[in-house]
Amino acid sequence: MLHYRTRRRLFSTLVLIVAYVTLLSPIAFVMIASFDYGQRAYVVFPPDRFTLDSYWRIPMRYWDSLWISVRVALLCMLISCAIGIPAAIGIVRSNLPGKAALLAVFRAPMQIPAVVSGVAFLHLYYLIGPLLGLQFVGSFVGMVIAHVFAATPYVVGTLVSVLQRFNYELEEAALVLGASRWGTFRQVTLPMLKPGIFAGALYAFMISFAEVPISVFLAGSRMVTFPVEVFNSMLFDFEPSILAISSIVTILSLTLVWLSQWAVGLDKFVQVGGAD
Amino acid sequence: MRVRWELVLLPALVISLVLLLASQFVFLKGSLQRDLGMGVMAPGLTLDNFREIFTDPYFLSSLWLSISVSTIAMVITLLIAFPAAYAIARMDGRWSIVLLAAVVVSSFLTIVVKILGLLLIFSSSGPLNRTLFWLGAISEPVTIVGNIPGVILGLIYYTLGFAILLFYSIVVTVPRSLEEAAEVHGASRAGVFRQVVMPLCLPGIAAGALMIFNVNMGGFSSTALIGAGKILTLPIVIQRTVILENNYGLGAALAVLLLGVVLVINAFAVWLLLRARRGMIV
Repeated sequence: MLHYRTRRRLFSTLVLIVAYVTLLSPIAFVMIASFDYGQRAYVVFPPDRFTLDSYWRIPMRYWDSLWISVRVALLCMLISCAIGIPAAIGIVRSNLPGKAALLAVFRAPMQIPAVVSGVAFLHLYYLIGPLLGLQFVGSFVGMVIAHVFAATPYVVGTLVSVLQRFNYELEEAALVLGASRWGTFRQVTLPMLKPGIFAGALYAFMISFAEVPISVFLAGSRMVTFPVEVFNSMLFDFEPSILAISSIVTILSLTLVWLSQWAVGLDKFVQVGGAD
Repeated sequence: MRVRWELVLLPALVISLVLLLASQFVFLKGSLQRDLGMGVMAPGLTLDNFREIFTDPYFLSSLWLSISVSTIAMVITLLIAFPAAYAIARMDGRWSIVLLAAVVVSSFLTIVVKILGLLLIFSSSGPLNRTLFWLGAISEPVTIVGNIPGVILGLIYYTLGFAILLFYSIVVTVPRSLEEAAEVHGASRAGVFRQVVMPLCLPGIAAGALMIFNVNMGGFSSTALIGAGKILTLPIVIQRTVILENNYGLGAALAVLLLGVVLVINAFAVWLLLRARRGMIV
């Protein structure tokens, strides 16, 4: 019989191995398999040879879709923050009645299944498009609006959870010591909120960047985002260079998360789950 | 001078409400209109779409399939994610940051790429089947394409990373000193877990389970890719009705059904939770 601490450590190691092999192995396999390239519509694993061919032969439409995704995600991030940051500060600091209901309004898009949101925006666009003389489906603007709808709750959630732990005494101290309102905001409040804002912004970017179920309905033929392009390619015409472009995107996402860990610390991303 | 935070909040609230109400209203209305084809909707309101759904076993069985697949995937995700989150939370600082970083990276990556990797692992000439053949464990290659276990696996991938982060944030709120105190007073490891950790985490676990279930109910991308047109859950049926059959009215009605069922199940779960909590206090 092992000592219980040893058993406990064995058990938790085992649990972690199961969880992480499950979580990370598909990503690792995509990257390894991307170094194989053959004139065939399927992938051999492990690769017979090691070549960068599939990286050189990435079709232009993948790069185009990646560029679309980056632009949509950046704009979605900016707008979601422009809506989410004042919303979160306003909810926490005002003394309005029914704050819980207000928060529920902002969080509502999280409760709606994404496919439902996709159908809803498709209907909305078909209705208001002709009225305004604009084509929303398959357009940049239409895609961004729907992504903002999906991403804003995450900005609000992250920031509300940071704000609820905010130490107001620091602000009062600054005011008592003679700082102006604006000076207090700029030198005390903002630095303390920065990690939460940063985390919310990254959430918004990544949600838009990875989004499939809404984008599938709104992509049309001109606004095919990167995940939708991969999705379509997997369903209809598999092509090995998809592994190469996916690996590149994985490395990019990894860099982004590493940069944000370096800038603000990862614990801010964990807090969003605890925002209830 | 007081800052009027209500005014700061107002524009954001208006925009969010407009987006929410406009999209929901338009598609609720669409669900009550017959589709005349070519994106033209009949002007009058009718319940025909819902009549069609509730009289056709095809739609009802796909709803039932969605509920059962989502429930099974949720339970398995819970069983992996909670112990993993607990282990990370009780670990020494540096390692827990590395492990959390890995979860964050993987949950930010689009599900489509993860499913691509999953299909590689399970392909007939892939590493898993080769190993199993070599061990003599199987005579036919194991596949996940077009079967229900495969779809469940896909849903687990959709929520696992998110679930670990969620449960981690719950476990860290339970002070380690509470567990140590119980141990010092002679509680066994299992006793500590059952009588200290679980009661404190239970509301969070229940809320998390509900969130995972909701995400599963809307799970689309992984099911479309793994199910390969054979496993027709409700989100898949909705997408096919709208994109392939161009029947917007019926598609909207199916979306209303999905949304309604999710809301009802959530309300029921919250009611159960509140009742259980009241029972605990009394």
